[in-house]
Order: sequence, then structure tokens, then C-alpha cells
Amino acid sequence: MSTGTGILQQEEEPAVAGAESTAEIAARSPLELFWRRLRSDKVALVALVVIVLLILTAIFAPLVTKIFGTPNPQATNAKALDSFGTPTGPSSIHPFGVDQLGRDVFSRVIYGARISLEVAFISTAVLLIVGIAFGLLAGYYRGWVDTLLSRGMDILLAFPILLFGIGLASACSLGNGCVPAHNFGVYLVIFGLVVMVALAVLGAVRMSRRTAGRGSLYAAGIVGLVIVALGLVSRFLTGKNTALIQPGLGVVIFVISITGWPYIARIIRGQVLSMREKEFVEAARSLGASNTRIIFREILPNLVAPIIVYATLVIPQNILYEAALSYLGVGVDPSQPSWGAMLADATPIFSTAWWFMLFPGLALLVTVLAFNLLGDGLQDALNPRTGK
Amino acid sequence: MSRSPMRAFALAGALLLVLGLAACGSSSNSSSSGSAASNPAPPTQGKKGGDLKLLFAGEIDYIDPGATYYSGAFPMFQSIVRPLYGYLPDKTTVTPDLAASMPQISKDNKTVTVTIKKGIKFGPPVNREITAADVKYGIERSFKPKLTNGYVGTYFAHVIGFDQVSKGKALHASGITAKGKYSLQIKLDAPEGFTVAQALALPNSAPVPESYAAKFDATKDPAAYGTHQISSGPYMIKNNASGALTGYKAGKEIDLVRNPNWDPKTDFRPAYVNTMTIKENNTDTSTATRQILNGQSLISGDFQPAATDLKLALQKFPNQTKAAPPGGYRYIALNTKVKPFDDVNVRKAVIAASDRTALRLTRGGAVIGDVATHFIPPGFDGFDAAGGVKGFQGPEFDFMSNINGSMKVAQKYLAKAKEKIKGKTLLLVADNSDPGKSTAQVIQQQLQKLGFNVKARFVDHAAMYTKFCGVPKAQVAVCPNVGWFKDFYETGSMLNPTFNGKSIIPSGNVNWPQLNDPKVNSILDKTNSLSDPAQRTKGWVQADRDIVLDAPGIPWVWDKEYVVESKNVQGVINNYNAGWDLSFSSVK
Repeated sequence: MSTGTGILQQEEEPAVAGAESTAEIAARSPLELFWRRLRSDKVALVALVVIVLLILTAIFAPLVTKIFGTPNPQATNAKALDSFGTPTGPSSIHPFGVDQLGRDVFSRVIYGARISLEVAFISTAVLLIVGIAFGLLAGYYRGWVDTLLSRGMDILLAFPILLFGIGLASACSLGNGCVPAHNFGVYLVIFGLVVMVALAVLGAVRMSRRTAGRGSLYAAGIVGLVIVALGLVSRFLTGKNTALIQPGLGVVIFVISITGWPYIARIIRGQVLSMREKEFVEAARSLGASNTRIIFREILPNLVAPIIVYATLVIPQNILYEAALSYLGVGVDPSQPSWGAMLADATPIFSTAWWFMLFPGLALLVTVLAFNLLGDGLQDALNPRTGK
Repeated sequence: MSRSPMRAFALAGALLLVLGLAACGSSSNSSSSGSAASNPAPPTQGKKGGDLKLLFAGEIDYIDPGATYYSGAFPMFQSIVRPLYGYLPDKTTVTPDLAASMPQISKDNKTVTVTIKKGIKFGPPVNREITAADVKYGIERSFKPKLTNGYVGTYFAHVIGFDQVSKGKALHASGITAKGKYSLQIKLDAPEGFTVAQALALPNSAPVPESYAAKFDATKDPAAYGTHQISSGPYMIKNNASGALTGYKAGKEIDLVRNPNWDPKTDFRPAYVNTMTIKENNTDTSTATRQILNGQSLISGDFQPAATDLKLALQKFPNQTKAAPPGGYRYIALNTKVKPFDDVNVRKAVIAASDRTALRLTRGGAVIGDVATHFIPPGFDGFDAAGGVKGFQGPEFDFMSNINGSMKVAQKYLAKAKEKIKGKTLLLVADNSDPGKSTAQVIQQQLQKLGFNVKARFVDHAAMYTKFCGVPKAQVAVCPNVGWFKDFYETGSMLNPTFNGKSIIPSGNVNWPQLNDPKVNSILDKTNSLSDPAQRTKGWVQADRDIVLDAPGIPWVWDKEYVVESKNVQGVINNYNAGWDLSFSSVK
């Protein structure tokens, strides 16, 4: 996974600030400007069209297979295999051939888009929310909050991600999954109380030294309460044998999110660190704006550009990550079509069934390429000064 | 066959016959007709001399003949040690090897007496004549907890004194006595003489000289004797003057040379080649298969070509691809203790609906063998009496007779079922690698078609047994990747451990369907105590019939084992090994 440091360096100047100055002259909104620049980038436009088509295909997968008259992606069909059980190639009934169980490869590629995009979007959303939240906190409050969060990120970044993913995923693929909700809830409640007490003590010490206001005490209380509430929900509102990390998609999403958030958190932290010293933040502070207001109304809107760019770059990474985990056999249930799992199944029979590897491979390639090209295009459009 | 799971089983205390359930897929010339157990008689002549190289995908688990339980290792041990009995390549009945004649079993089926041949000598450096005391020691030491062969507990547990030795409290079993130099008597505390006599073809009945081996057996190192072993067969692993093996590089290579003390006049083995080299850990079987087919003096050791390689081998190298007859059955176990499979009609409906030819395609199609219709495999006594390939006939067997599956028959049984099955959830636990994974997905589809909601878990092959299917508490409803393969040709050994209710144990259980039918149990127990072969066969067939009617699972293939050889090799298949017979194979 690339760390996105490239973006970090290129984003020293907040994008929207640049756009604002242009806006005075041309009287165009930043969005308008952005759209004009993107429109002129033909490659990015094509990528955008491909992605939109892909999303539509995923949403309307049943319709697409119906139009092409291909069978259900999970339907095994022994008649589509030869007498040795090896799959048959592309034909009028099966445009992309069939797999080792006689399942239609076309249908599976189409439905595979669902899993890939589902995992990519959900895990990207989760890692963005977590990463942005922690990045904002660390960058804005600095001091011990920053130290705590940054060291936490350092530890996560030092993890051998794929090995960690495989280990966790295979552990959680057994039985009902791992991390039983009931036990976890109890730990969470205890942890929440500890956090509340610790933060309260720290806050009190800092208040006595007059380095912090009453606000930090409230914040500590709220953070602790949220953790306790989550713990109570996990303890009392879940089924008896519910595991928090369910086998299949749940595991994949969890693994990708937990290992992915520190990257965006670091980028956001860096941005916030430079931005909190900027005049507009100083101005807001001198007008008596609260920390919450400064974070959410002044700083966050200026981070939209890097967040969008990072998201479009991290989505293809997550698609590949899902494919890798599925390839290694720790992803979704094998009856569900996943591009990565299809590639894994195709490997041993590649010499006799090239179509089984080619089509899911192409689908993966096109998807990842489209997201990457769009990401580049967005970056150029949002930061014109870093462009060609 | 990739590395056999034998070791895991031995540790889990489970019995699992010489097999590779995780084995690769396969295929070959179609065998729709009759008994698939035919194996041509070995050619009467072979060229003497030459070096034969065996490519192994895995490695031999234990180098000790008393400890090994790896299907790939048996052919090697068959040519370096002489157990009391052995199998000629094309036969399914035992032939005296070290023994001078067939075993004598007492009327009460509790005493087995064997006379051994005179004048057979140990290989160097021991060089003396083999006596009954050496056989006694060989068997006794295999009971020791240090030697985890995994099968003595099943076949020798009733030998008097077994428990003391297996718990490490004694070095000798009082039930085994050497009467004079050439006679061995085994006394049992239960009427199991027939089974024990059959088990004397396993490598643990090969002689071991106590005076030489005791010092190695006294150490904690389980491989101590193995790496200093003394040969009794036509070949030996290269060793030095003190007996230490020089031709054994664990995990890499084993070099076999002729045993200078072996006398061909005392043996049925022709032992054509001069030397053999076993090359281990060729983990890419696809490459190994191609190397063998295109190379010189090579044969496959412990693996079967995967389905696509087999297709290539059969189409382009038909003369270099041979099949060993089936030695067991694969079936999909339906847990009789888990709802709704506690209802026999639901189980029958599932069997009736299953397309077993589709299941067989996941391992290579018709070429790999006939679709199983009952639990006595081809080549075993009682196979023909049980209806042969077609199985038992009659209206009560209608759920089993259509191998392509019949929804109509399934509906008939569903109508008789106590509960509606629609939407009922079944836990299915299967291999996470092919071909087991594919088989499981096919049955998953078929169950869903019947209206079940299938919760499938795909795990490592060993975990499938040790954590799920072999543990009754795990309550797995469907185990699609189980099967049972022979240790020797005795029909009871194919039914008694797997379907007798008394053999259900909390972990390492192999009665996967947890079938506990008093009627079946009593027939199995009664038949096992008989000593008359004809009566026994009759009993087993009756038991087989009752088991099929209990519908504990979907038997779907009696599969053959495919092996490949180079063009200049005249390989001979041994039924018992379900693989090559190294002492009969030669280099052209």
C-alpha cells in the first residue's frame, strides 16, 4: 500500500484556498472550476465512465446476466464439463466459458464486481472515517493526544499487513468467527471507564496548570461515555454466539480497515498541523470559536480535496487487497463469486482453461486501472499547481 | 496425493487408513463395467539391474517400519523389510512372506499361531538368522507410545499385554510368545484372531533384532532405530559398518541398494533393479508428472497426477499411465444425530436427490472409478454378493439406485419426513483446497436445491477432521470430504470402525455419521467374532445392506489411484499398496 506521501508533499497549499483567489476574478465556484479542469482530462473522464458503468453493472447484475441469458453465478452444471471434469471454453451459452464446477464465468465476473466494490467502498469508508477522526484529533490537539495516536499508528504501520490479514482472516474463518460480542462488550465497558478516569485525571492536572480549559474535561467524558455505550450495546444487544468479526466479507472488511486507516490519519494529521497555524484558523480562534467548530467548520472543509484524492487511490488498493485475501483462500465463501478467488481456482488448471483466469483478471485490471486514472485526474483537477 | 495427513491423525489418536483424502484429482480410461478390481498379473520377466528413481511430492513420515503410516512409504518398506505376510501384485489375499505358511487361528478366534521360514538372515551389520523372537520384538515395539503409527490401536488392541506396552509400563507384551526358534503365538482377550492375522501384513510385523535395537529404543529419539534400521528384504537403505544409515537424507533423498544377505529362493519378490533412489519434496506435482512422462527411469512415488495432468497423461502417454484398483470409498457423511438428519427419510431424500456423477467429476470423472452404491469396495470379499457396482437391488433401495439423482424419489421420501426441511440450516465443513472444495460446493448446491439453507465452512483438511468432522460435539451436519481406505483386504475393516455405534469417540471419531443402530452394531460385533471366512463374508454383506438402508451418507466413488512411469520403466502395480510394487518393477 503506498503511503500517499506524494499527495502529502503536493498538498502543502490547501487547494480550496487557491481556488478562492481565482473565484474572485472569474466568479466561478470552486466546484465549477474543478469540473472544468476534470472535463479537459480525457483519460480521467474515460475512467469515470468505466467506473460508473462498473457500479451500474454491480447494482444491476441480475439484469445484466438476464440480458445475456447466462445462468445464475452459483449454479453448478456438470454438463458444461468434459468427461474428465475439465471446464469448457467460451461458447454461445457461456460467452466467457465455465469454471471447474461448470459455473458460468461471465455471470461470476459480473457478480464478482459486487463483492469487489462492496468490500472496496465499505472498507474505504470505514478507514476514512477512523483515519480522518484520529488524524484531526492528533493534528489539532497535538501534545499527548498526538503522541498516543501517532505511536499507535506507528505500531499498526509496522505490522506485516498481509501476514496479519491472513492470520486474522484464517482465525476468524473458523466456526462463528472471532471476538465474541459478549466478552468484547465487557472489555469495552471496562476500557471506556479507564479511559474516562485517565482523561479526567490528565485534564484536571492540565487545568490546574492552566494549560487546558474545561472543554477537554467534557471531551474526555464524552469519549469515555461513547466507548462504554458501545460496550453495553455489544454486551446486551447481540445474540448469544454472535462474533464481531464474521467469517467471509466481514473479516476482509475488518482486516482492510484496521490496517488501512493509519495512512490517511497521517496525511490528515500533517495537513492539520500546518493548517492550524494559518491565519483563517487564528482568526476563528480569536473570534472565540470553539475547538469543535474550528475542526469541523474551518479545517475539515479544507481537507476535502486530499480526502477525495486519497479515497480514489485507496479504493483500487482495497480491491486488490480483497482479491489477494480471496486468492489466499481467506476471503468470501467460495460459492460467492470473487475475482481473487476465481484467479486462485483458475491457477492449477490454467494450461487447459485460460478463459477462467483471463476474464476475472481483466475485470480486476480494468477496475483498478480506472480508479487509479480517475484518482490521478482528480488530483490534477483539485490541485492545478501540481499538474503537468 | 499430497502429503498424507497420517501424522496428524496419529497424533489425534485417530485411525485413518493408508490414504490421502486430500489427494489430488484424477482420471483415466473409462471403467463402467463390472468389477474394477482387476489388475493384470505381473509380467513374468523383467530385466535385471538398473537404477529406478521415485519422485515423491511429500516426504516419508517416519523412517521406522514400526512407526510409518504413510501410504507413500509402504512400497519402500515392502522392499526393505519382510513382514509375516505380504501381497502379490495382482492378488487381494495374503501370501506368506517371512511366515512359512498361512496363520493358524484357534476355534475360539483368540489365538493366532505363525511359523516362520528357516534360514532367512538379517542384513548387515547384524547378519544372523531371523527367529520368531525378532518378530515378537518387532510387533511389541510398535505398540510403544514413542512409535505413533496410528493403526496398532485398531488392530492389535486385543493382544494380551498391549495396554501395558502402549502406556509405557512394560517393554514386552505377555500375549506374544516365541515358541522355539520358528513359531510365534499371539494370544488375544477377545475373538479378534481373524483381524489380527490379516493385520500381520502391516510393516510392524517385520523382524527387529532386540539385542541390536534395544539401545536405540531406550532413547527418547523416536527416529533412533529408524536411522539405524536392519533390513530383512531384498533391498536396504545404504548404511555403514555400525548400522547407521548413510543413504538417508531426511526430506531430500533415500538411497536403496541390494541387501547382500537376501536369498531370492526364500522370497516371492523378483527384485529386478539394482538400486533405487527416492527423491522427496517435489511439491509441484504437475512438473513432477511431466518430468516422469518425458524422462528416463522415473516413477511417481506418493502422488497422483492432478486432474488436468492426468488428462494429458492418459491422452498423450497412455502406456505410461496405470491405475491401481480402488481400495476404499469416499462418501458424504450425513450426521444422524443432527436435526433434521435424525430422520432417516430426510437422509434418503438427500441421497436420492444427489447427482453422484457430478460429484465424481470434481475428481476427474468416470475414469477415476465407479460411482459407489454401498460400502464394500471392489476387490473385497462380499463385493459381488452386495450387488457389485450396481449395489443392492429392490424397491427399498430406490433412493440409492439412480446415480444421476432423482428429484421424484427425493420428493417421495420428503413427503414421509416428520418435518418440513425448507429453510432448515445445515452446517457443512469441508476442505479449503481442491478437489475437496469443489466436491463440497457441488453438494452444497444440491442441498440448496432441495430447500436447505447451507452454512458452509471451508477449512484446512486436517482441521476439518480434528476440529469438526471428527468431533461429535461440533455437530457438523454434512462432511463432504470423508472417506475410508484399506490397511489390508479385510471387509470388516471397511465397516466396523466407521459404522459401529460403539466406535464413536469424543475426538478423532471416524464414525462420522455417528450411526448407532443396534441392529447394525450387533451384526458387526457378531461377524467380527467369527473365524470362518465364508460366514464372515455373509455377515459383512448383511451389515453393508443394513448400513445402506440406514442412509448414513452419500457414497459417491470407489476411486482408483493413478500412477505414471517413464517410457523405459516396466512398472508393476500392487493392489495392496494401491501404487507401485518396487520389487516387481524393472527398468527396460
